[in-house]
Amino acid sequence: MLARISRRLAGLLATLLAASFVIFAAVYAAPGDPAVFLAGGRDKLTPEKLELVRAQYHLDEPLVVQYGRWLGDCLQFDLGRSFKYSDQVADLLTARFPTTLALVAYATVLFVVLGVGAGILAAVRRGTWIDSAVVGGTTLAASVPSFVSAIALVALFGVQLGWFPVTGGGEGFAGTLHHLTLPALALALGALALISRVTRQAMADAGAADHVEVARASGVPEREIVLRHVLRNALGPIVTMCGLVMAGMLAGTVVVETAFGISGIGSLLVGAINTHDFPVAQAVLLLMVTGYIVVTTLVDLVHPLLDPRVKEAAA
Amino acid sequence: MTHLPSRRTALAAGLVAATMVAAAGCSGATRSTSGSGTATDAAKLTLTPVTAPAKGELARADWLLEDEPDSLDLDTQGSSAGRVVLTNVCERLYQLQPDMSTKPFLAEKAETPDDRTLVLTLRSGVTFHAGTPMTADDVLWSLQRHADPDMEQGDEFGNIAGMKKTGDRQITITFKAPDALFSKALAGDAGIVWNKEQVEKAGKDFGTPGQPDACTGPYALGGWKSGDSITIERYDGYWGEKPLTKKVIFRWATDSALVNALTTGAADGAYAESPNTASALNGKKGIEQHYGPSTASLVLIPTERGGLKDPRVRRALSLALDRKGIAASGYGGMVQPWGTPVGSGAWGYEKPVFEAAQKAIAYAPAAPTADDLAAAEQLVKDAGADAATPIVIGTDASQGRTVVANAVRAALQRIGLKGQIKTVPTAQFEQFYSDPEIRGEIDVLVGDWYISKADPMGFYDNALSDSSNNWVGFKDKAYDAKVKQALGTLDDAARAKLTADVQKTFTDAAVWISVAQVPSVLVLNEKLTGPPASMAYLYYPWAAELGAKEG
Repeated sequence: MLARISRRLAGLLATLLAASFVIFAAVYAAPGDPAVFLAGGRDKLTPEKLELVRAQYHLDEPLVVQYGRWLGDCLQFDLGRSFKYSDQVADLLTARFPTTLALVAYATVLFVVLGVGAGILAAVRRGTWIDSAVVGGTTLAASVPSFVSAIALVALFGVQLGWFPVTGGGEGFAGTLHHLTLPALALALGALALISRVTRQAMADAGAADHVEVARASGVPEREIVLRHVLRNALGPIVTMCGLVMAGMLAGTVVVETAFGISGIGSLLVGAINTHDFPVAQAVLLLMVTGYIVVTTLVDLVHPLLDPRVKEAAA
Repeated sequence: MTHLPSRRTALAAGLVAATMVAAAGCSGATRSTSGSGTATDAAKLTLTPVTAPAKGELARADWLLEDEPDSLDLDTQGSSAGRVVLTNVCERLYQLQPDMSTKPFLAEKAETPDDRTLVLTLRSGVTFHAGTPMTADDVLWSLQRHADPDMEQGDEFGNIAGMKKTGDRQITITFKAPDALFSKALAGDAGIVWNKEQVEKAGKDFGTPGQPDACTGPYALGGWKSGDSITIERYDGYWGEKPLTKKVIFRWATDSALVNALTTGAADGAYAESPNTASALNGKKGIEQHYGPSTASLVLIPTERGGLKDPRVRRALSLALDRKGIAASGYGGMVQPWGTPVGSGAWGYEKPVFEAAQKAIAYAPAAPTADDLAAAEQLVKDAGADAATPIVIGTDASQGRTVVANAVRAALQRIGLKGQIKTVPTAQFEQFYSDPEIRGEIDVLVGDWYISKADPMGFYDNALSDSSNNWVGFKDKAYDAKVKQALGTLDDAARAKLTADVQKTFTDAAVWISVAQVPSVLVLNEKLTGPPASMAYLYYPWAAELGAKEG
């Protein structure tokens, strides 16, 4: 087990290193000139001033040298200072990450509870109108992009009915919950459809197994069969899919953050990319990559605990 | 100083490329869905610099900015968002008034014994928020900090020969050449007085979240929670009049989030930077809009590429342009057809002279008449313009600019020329202003511009023969001489006359083609009143005048 975890850690670091270079090069290659944003107003965009700015921010050096400089600082736990904000990148991240994390956590709770619930409901009532309603409803939900559902939700529940606040992240537990309900719902809607489908299918597959037929034949109550035999065997794919969707959300909050005026790391990233704020873009993207890797690794580690067959295969 | 438009269009980069693209789509979509307000007739917009005085106290006001400030150190990073907050906290040696005139302020008296010397006598009894009195040493140190070429305002100090403390409360500034605009700069960020001790103590962190302010204004910085909010609180030791509103909390949001927050009452007010936001909010229940003069304008900037090389062709284009149509369909009536490159907010003195000069501008009809079009066609014929090669119009995909670009193409068609629109991402758009090579791909840019000083002469040096903003290669020795003369003329009346002459040469040659002036828009909860509606909100302690309508 220890060897396996250290192997994973080494792989994680290698992935991060490769990702950091790819990200750096991509931000570097994006169209637009960072010096233009750093110089100040348009009347200051003289060639001399731009040269001065490039030298000050080391933008006149080759890509590899700039990357090396960043990596060196990073290894000493210095993420640098933002070009746009004069603040430390680490401070910018610490201030915004909790909001995004709360948003993703809230959305995850929503899509897991509602999605898995709907999937189970559809599976046990297969072929009935309930099944059709779940499949139809989730197909509709999946086809609506999150920015559209965000706008629809805010227009109805925020502006028209006034039940929820329309902007900001809120303070305290209750405040945060109140403020983040609509954004989390917008974020969860698409995932909800996916999860309910996966749950329904996994349950159907597990339900077709021989031992389920045997159990049913020997008179075990249906409720017990669904919980003990079907759901338990179906959990593997469901958990994997939930993990993947949640990891993907870490990078996908920007759309709802913009629609709801929430200052999370998603909106921080878009601002950073648009203004060529290298240190911030680099740090946020790496944080997202790390989040993705960590979540998927956790899912991998949890999987064998749920399904003994996977454990045997791994050993 | 000019402003960057909101940088909404995202660039795809790195591993989350797909997300980024979705975000770009989002901002476009939210903007159009929020535009449900009623359209305003541009001709009926009346610009008033002030709102009715407030009578009642207010425990707190929630205010919206279009973006989180980059920094609260305006010397290192000056953005509009930072200025809107800090202008209530920091004071300047001169002060820009709501009517856009300037007067000595922290310097209570300013004398010019000769036109190369400015003697400032400092106000006494002024204390910094830290409690210590403002001294001449603080003022001199602040001026020297602003003058550093690395700082935002460094270029305002080009004419300075020396700055000295000449008394306990006196600073004497000497000039290499007379500089009519320097006192106007002192009403802007170049005139902020910092508490030397505090700024030095904070070092590189000065102006970042968690740091106190170092100023003397009616409000003190209460706190800045990065990514969340900025709070300012009434300063009890303030030397001047006590503000009615105790506390202002700033948050930020864009597009539909901003519109929704104001509509639902989650925020009490905002200064709308983009006319499209203002038009989305127009006519909503519970909020009032106040329009004030600003220096901002929408312009067409011809380039050195040559399609609009001949001034006669530029004049013809200006004559054929449907400015009224642009205002109505591109900006919901929130901009006004205009013939000069600076808005009426630039008229900080001798207003009647500038007003008359603006009305006398030729070649810039609000909507072209048959006569205008006939004259334009004749001009094109006289110039022998190439009708086969299209004139390339550079723009980004924002709603307003797209409409302007199409109107330019229509105008070109009307005068027998061909137009072709070239659209670039917003992040790249700014490079048209900086990079002659990129500019080489277009004949004319759909641009916008504003000046920070309330003096039209702050603009016209852009057409000097050697200016980097003179893209079309306009060269006129008489013009150059007159601009320099005006910039060195301290007498307002004389300078206004010179400015009107310079403006006529500029617009006759159509160095830039003006489209519309963009008013400043104050959006306010209908129960509140007080702050100025003019562009002075960037440099004037507007929150100090905010309060309830009823006492």
